Amino acid sequence: MSLDDDLNQLDQQQALLTDVLAQMLQNRWVGDLPTVEADLLALDPALQLAPRPPTPISQAPQPPAPGVQWNPSEPMPRQSASWTCSACSLAWVERSTGKNPGADEWSAVAEIGQPENINPTYGLMDGSGSQLQRVLKDSYALNSMHGWLNYDEVWTAVAHTTGMMSGGAWYHWVALRGQSGGDLWIANSAPGYKGVYDVLSREAFNALGPFSVVLLVP
Amino acid sequence: MTEIPSTDEQDARITQLQQQQALLTQALAAALNGQWVGAPPSVEAFLYAIDPSLQGTLTLDPPYVP
Repeated sequence: MSLDDDLNQLDQQQALLTDVLAQMLQNRWVGDLPTVEADLLALDPALQLAPRPPTPISQAPQPPAPGVQWNPSEPMPRQSASWTCSACSLAWVERSTGKNPGADEWSAVAEIGQPENINPTYGLMDGSGSQLQRVLKDSYALNSMHGWLNYDEVWTAVAHTTGMMSGGAWYHWVALRGQSGGDLWIANSAPGYKGVYDVLSREAFNALGPFSVVLLVP
Repeated sequence: MTEIPSTDEQDARITQLQQQQALLTQALAAALNGQWVGAPPSVEAFLYAIDPSLQGTLTLDPPYVP
């Protein structure tokens, strides 16, 4: 074999190695030409390969979308007044989201605005929860949505977020911890009121509704 | 072993192969460092240094480096 033959062989090998780089950059690792595997076998047909190609950047795991974070086990003290269930629920959301760890019934009453928005005569004046949403947004930069939701909508939503809700036939606000099997797990400042403690079944939901629901959104 | 004198052309080819070998080594180091694309020192940059005609011809989808 002459020096020219040696150089030709080296040129061919160099070209294959260069092509290996090009295929690696293009996520062509295994299979027929053009791939890294095919180039390597062309360089050395005796190679025994067990390819485990890397994950390409086009299939990289996506970072989780920023969602609502809350502690569903945050305690709910019993309300000390008959008209402050909405304030207790709001304070629970503030604590469970970590936005205001010191929130309580009366700090929330002040935030909602007594007597114009909440008072001993009527409780929360606007049953849509608009004042609760205002506090969440203005004081804690928490976005929320409101809706008159059915049971399935609430049950599905609380797998991913928290919030508050009030039943029209219940006349009572509670906060939403999450799901409890097929039931709703609630933070109830008046446990036992109308027979409901910390779990609300579909039947109870339908009996105590319709429900005005405020849910945090990312 | 008998040493055969090389021609100027052969010397030039050996020099080019040595340069390509050095670039290839750096490209493999860049790969090991997870620097696949972009400005030097990256695999992409060293590849174009080895073969400038590849610029603009590749559909890049490099390995994901967490």
